[in-house]
Amino acid sequence: MRRVVCYAIVALVLGGCSSSPEPPKARPQRLTTANISDPKTFNPITSIDQSSAAAVGDLFEGLVRTNPLTTEQEPFLAEKWEFNKDGTEWTFHLRRDVKWHDGQPFTAADVVFTFDVIFDDRVANSLKHVLLVDGQRIKVDAIDDYTVRFTLPRPFAPLINAIGAGILPKHILGASLKDGSFAQKWGIDTPPEQLVGTGPFQMTRYVPAQFLEYKRNANYWMKDDAGKELPYLETKIQLIVPDQDTMYLKFVSGQTDWHAPRPEEVAELRTKAEQLNINVQETGLDTGSTFVAFNRNPAHYVRDGKRDPRLVWFTDKRFLRAIAHAIDKQSMIVNCLNGYGKPAIAEVSPENKLYHNPNLTDYPYDLDKAKALLDEAGYKDRNNDGVREDPEGNPLEFSLTTNAGNQVREKMCSILKEDWTKLGIRVNYRPLDFQTLVEKVNSNFDWDAILIGFTGTIEPNNSANFLRSSGNLHFWQPSQAEPATPWEAEIDQLLDQGSRELDPQKRRQFYWRIQEILHEELPVLLTVRDQRFLAYKRYIANVRPTAWGLYREELLRISE
Amino acid sequence: MPRPPGKTVVVSIFLLALFYLTALFAPFVAPYDYTEQNRAFPHCPPSSVRINQPTRWGESLLYTHPLKLADPMTRRYEEDSGVRIPIRLLYDGHLFTTAADAPRFFLLGTDDLGRDLFSRIVYGGRISLSIGIVGVLISFSIGTVLGSIAGYSGGWVDNLMMRLVEVIMSLPSFYFLLALASIIPPNLAPGTTFLLIVVIMSFIRWAGFARIIRGMVASLREREYVAAARALGAPRWLVLARHVIPGTFSYSITSATLSIPSFILGESALSVLGLGIQEPGASWGNLLATARNVQYLVNYPWILTPGLFIFLTIISFNFLGDYLLERFNPRSVVR
Repeated sequence: MRRVVCYAIVALVLGGCSSSPEPPKARPQRLTTANISDPKTFNPITSIDQSSAAAVGDLFEGLVRTNPLTTEQEPFLAEKWEFNKDGTEWTFHLRRDVKWHDGQPFTAADVVFTFDVIFDDRVANSLKHVLLVDGQRIKVDAIDDYTVRFTLPRPFAPLINAIGAGILPKHILGASLKDGSFAQKWGIDTPPEQLVGTGPFQMTRYVPAQFLEYKRNANYWMKDDAGKELPYLETKIQLIVPDQDTMYLKFVSGQTDWHAPRPEEVAELRTKAEQLNINVQETGLDTGSTFVAFNRNPAHYVRDGKRDPRLVWFTDKRFLRAIAHAIDKQSMIVNCLNGYGKPAIAEVSPENKLYHNPNLTDYPYDLDKAKALLDEAGYKDRNNDGVREDPEGNPLEFSLTTNAGNQVREKMCSILKEDWTKLGIRVNYRPLDFQTLVEKVNSNFDWDAILIGFTGTIEPNNSANFLRSSGNLHFWQPSQAEPATPWEAEIDQLLDQGSRELDPQKRRQFYWRIQEILHEELPVLLTVRDQRFLAYKRYIANVRPTAWGLYREELLRISE
Repeated sequence: MPRPPGKTVVVSIFLLALFYLTALFAPFVAPYDYTEQNRAFPHCPPSSVRINQPTRWGESLLYTHPLKLADPMTRRYEEDSGVRIPIRLLYDGHLFTTAADAPRFFLLGTDDLGRDLFSRIVYGGRISLSIGIVGVLISFSIGTVLGSIAGYSGGWVDNLMMRLVEVIMSLPSFYFLLALASIIPPNLAPGTTFLLIVVIMSFIRWAGFARIIRGMVASLREREYVAAARALGAPRWLVLARHVIPGTFSYSITSATLSIPSFILGESALSVLGLGIQEPGASWGNLLATARNVQYLVNYPWILTPGLFIFLTIISFNFLGDYLLERFNPRSVVR
């Protein structure tokens, strides 16, 4: 009896082996990615967070789009455009073959409607401030069904880089703008089929905390070079995962097709590239900047008619220069970024080829020099307690903060604290959660020094809110009535000039000069920029990642 | 006749004594300053310990080879076996260390900034081990005083105090901790921050304890010996302090021992969320917080060792607590 069972098992095993392998199934045209948090809204105009923007990124398209390889704007829903000699009138000619997902034709009325939404006072959005010219709105008129004219109060070079916002369907949302309910429209409870755009994909399903699912837009207007309909992908799935670790594990276990790895993951992915069948490609440096800023806002320092000494130090160039020499960028790269990064010197990232000023020289890390500079400026340790005092005898002590939970920034702060302590400065370091930090920076100005970052944009004027002395993100001293210093006045003037000059080559001189001033006056002390990577499965064809995103994402295809 | 302590209890007591002594003599036990950043040694693995055959008097018995970061991207280190670095025992005021200008010896490896993990654990123990004791002292003193006053007085005093206790107990404790911890001003010295965190944690925990003490006192005050003391004209406070409160000690001591772990864990949780002890200060909780990363866990497993210390401490306290519970209050143990 036992023998029979044995034979049976052997037969089963052999049977399992001998059955001819099935012909390999063609891989479905499906791309799975992952993102960390749920979208907060599906309304592309009112969204302010990355997950919301990513959720509807494939649904809506702008008049123009950025070619990330050249950082120039290319025709998209507008097939061509021209402007008059002084740049105050721009005429856009729209494509005639574009249809909304519900089959309605896309026309100039939709464009006018979208810009009406952006400029509407009842609709809070972040696009508004980059499109206001000296506080005035741009006039947008439909000349005919397929021609739109933008009339500006003065020449405004940033226009072309600022009008890429996704166009919305007037036939669906028009009524909501009239009755004032637009800002509440298209929340995350909206049935996905009601989200009508012109983009290559339509949303089909959203399961909160699990995934977003998209299907190909069968009527998409764009064709490939051979005249074949785009996009090639049938389905896209965006998983929603709780954290970066899960994101990494899902990618390594093959549940997602791509992943933007953190620095500490890169080496591991590279060694496993063959086994996982992936490519790990460098996409470029961080396009934004991470920096240390000191609060120069008198509102924070003047109490009961007395001025806190910290204001004097933080506006003292000699003090700031000493600090600049005490930022160990090389160690930040090795210890915090696993060696993947470069020191940041100019405020504009080198990835912004046109506007990055390459002529600045860094303040080298040199604690002895920093000490000498402090001595020279009169910050000396007069009572030998290891902490320097300013000429009035106040000990150099201030607090340093960053957003809690960002491990890279927390480590960078530890390095800063140790070096500044060696200089003879007492640093009280405490990370704060992001909401508290934003509140301190934007509303109660209760902070001394901060390590924080800004994301970068191709259009330098988009950071006007940060650079201009009256800007509300000008954060060492926001919303100034009059420029507090001559160099801030000069930056204001350069921003004005820069936004009027239409020739890019002439225009960049103004922004180069701004970077020079920031480098000289040190209201922000730049740290490092990390090297970014993209890891993706080798069966995805036509992946061309850049620092500014994928080049021609609609060409992605699953090969084999 | 109480049962003699079993092996587990003896081991627990021994471990706790070892940990507390280590924390007490941290500057002696730790080979280096716990904030010293050796930035050229991020995530350095534990150094190897080799035994030397001393050939002459005074030569070190142990030595190690220096490590060098060969590749910052993979954090690969190479050992230079040609060079010997003597590990000096009882040298320069430390249990073991290397000469000030010699390369470092990392017994348990380093963290991302190249700080010696062993030194950090030893110093971190000062915070993690004392947070439980201090916290228990504060919360149990408040709990005993308020609970016994309420239980002994009865009436509206009792009513009022117990309603207050209920209010505090109904606070969602973890979120309440988060909220309180986030309003600690940033420019406080680390020691003060630590004390504030203990006080915040004790503030929540005294309530449940006060309630139980109140119940015990309410029953104790009806005993004959208490009635006798009162009849003899002893003042209230004396009756309370001499005859009633001691009756609650068997409970307090066991309960205190058993609640120390929750303070240690509470601090760890706050630290993991970035609200506890701040860098460069060390506590076992915030050391463990850096291990919150799959990559680190896989590639640099030594950064998990603080977790081992937390685990051993908590389990030892639990064994000890169980034993005390049995000893003081044998009837409560069901066998």
